[in-house]
Amino acid sequence: MAHRVDNEYDYLFKIVLIGDSGVGKSNILSRFTRNEFCLESKSTIGVEFATRTLQIEGKTIKAQIWDTAGQERYRAITSAYYRGAVGALLVYDITKKQTFENIQRWLRELRDHADSNIVIMMVGNKSDLNHLRSVPEEDGQALAEKEGLSFLETSALEALNVEKAFQTILSDIHQIISKKALAAQEAAGNGPPSQGTTINVSDSTVNTKRGCCSA
Amino acid sequence: MLGRKVVDLAELRRLACQGVPDAAGVRPVVWKQLLLGYLPTDHALWAYELEKKRSQYSAFKDELLVNPSEVTRRMEEMTISKRNGHNSEGTGVLPRAEIVHDEHPLSLGKTSVWNQHFQESEIIEQIDRDVKRTHPEMQFFNGDSSDALSNQESLKRILTIFAKLNPGIRYVQGMNEVLAPLYYVFKNDPEENNAESAEPDAFFCFVELLSGFRDNFCKQLDNSVVGIRSTICKLSQLLKRHDEELWRHLEVVTKVNPQFYAFRWITLLLTQEFKFRDCIHIWDALLGDPEGHQATLLRICCAMLILVRRRLLAGDFTANLKLLQSYPPTNIDHLLHIANKLRGPVPY
Repeated sequence: MAHRVDNEYDYLFKIVLIGDSGVGKSNILSRFTRNEFCLESKSTIGVEFATRTLQIEGKTIKAQIWDTAGQERYRAITSAYYRGAVGALLVYDITKKQTFENIQRWLRELRDHADSNIVIMMVGNKSDLNHLRSVPEEDGQALAEKEGLSFLETSALEALNVEKAFQTILSDIHQIISKKALAAQEAAGNGPPSQGTTINVSDSTVNTKRGCCSA
Repeated sequence: MLGRKVVDLAELRRLACQGVPDAAGVRPVVWKQLLLGYLPTDHALWAYELEKKRSQYSAFKDELLVNPSEVTRRMEEMTISKRNGHNSEGTGVLPRAEIVHDEHPLSLGKTSVWNQHFQESEIIEQIDRDVKRTHPEMQFFNGDSSDALSNQESLKRILTIFAKLNPGIRYVQGMNEVLAPLYYVFKNDPEENNAESAEPDAFFCFVELLSGFRDNFCKQLDNSVVGIRSTICKLSQLLKRHDEELWRHLEVVTKVNPQFYAFRWITLLLTQEFKFRDCIHIWDALLGDPEGHQATLLRICCAMLILVRRRLLAGDFTANLKLLQSYPPTNIDHLLHIANKLRGPVPY
């Protein structure tokens, strides 16, 4: 169809970036999607959107990433942006303790507005500012374990671990989707597929390439 | 026109809508006049009114921008002077027991100036962060020059005073973007005396401007008829009325929820969508239009959609959202011309 310009992908995964204002969400987005970093970027109002297509475990995955404003006022408005999201990158700033302490608030926000199966990764950004660190990496690790989240420290400025963070969350999502599809197939009475069988994921909740683009 | 004894406001509005010439240096006066009459129409009263407002602002600064140590110190002084009134031989040293318990920094009392201070410091930090991120591409606002730093301090004071005087709204991210054009225009007034008072003038004009738009910043009103969702809905209706094919393609076929782009367009009065110079031209029309700021803003937003209709009609969800979130450079005169053709009652 004429209006589908870019449909060369196996899956479309919608990921939201959340966390306090000023932790570097927009720079994580621009580093991942455009390999750019801007020391003093404008504050994000409402929502910003970018995409990148990449290969995960032999599949072409189109990541649709939504960057939201950090301030409390914008949460009610941004709740619409959680719709259809299969992953969330929950970002704090390792030099600002308060942004780490607010992680619980953000988790509550996700529980209230997002799908209960959303895959969450916690990210401690600005690891290049180690001399200003106020949140030890172990504290981040401990909280992530307690909440059952995956965890990485990143530096959007030095392009450290940003790629890895997205790769991790996207491949986690992909694995869950594949398992679900498998389970669905078993439940349908087909038994476990033998090697080489094509797994039908068309009835999974995630968009496939013939699905609609707007998750 | 501005040289007349009494300014004809209707005529001034008509002219401003066509664009205020950059070179003549009249924009500061025109904006101040149009912004809901910060300047009275009678020329003879200008100096008096400005003087009054500027000293009022100065009083706000004294009253609202003191730090809590200063408040505590002043209270101590008052207590001392009271004591001295009773006992003129007082040593001037405040005995420990007489420090008002509630005003101790470690007091948990809700009314403590320190408690208020800690709540406010979160807002002040937010303002600080956003002011530093205001037009990072412009030397006027950004960089290490003393001018840029002093401009940043002015913006911070204005936003802080506004937040303290309006506890129902306080500071909402994006207000810095709305304030920036006002402050920039007034600071570049060729009349030195006015340029020096850019801060108080921008403060009062900011208050006037926001009185028409503040509901968009108010979370409690999001779902009311005056809140941002309802405003976005009006834009959608306007587009439907003027270009139903485009409306259908955007909202029904490609499912681009207007919230995803128009939220920023509307709350920031288009300040992040265009180059700064272009934004100033758009504001000439926005502030001058006799039909009201919001109706004009919605017409311009609708014209922005119509101007890129061919690309939108060929685009999918991703392409369209990207296009609208990063709007292409545009001939502003043409945009305003198209917007002007969309006049008529705003649909409900």
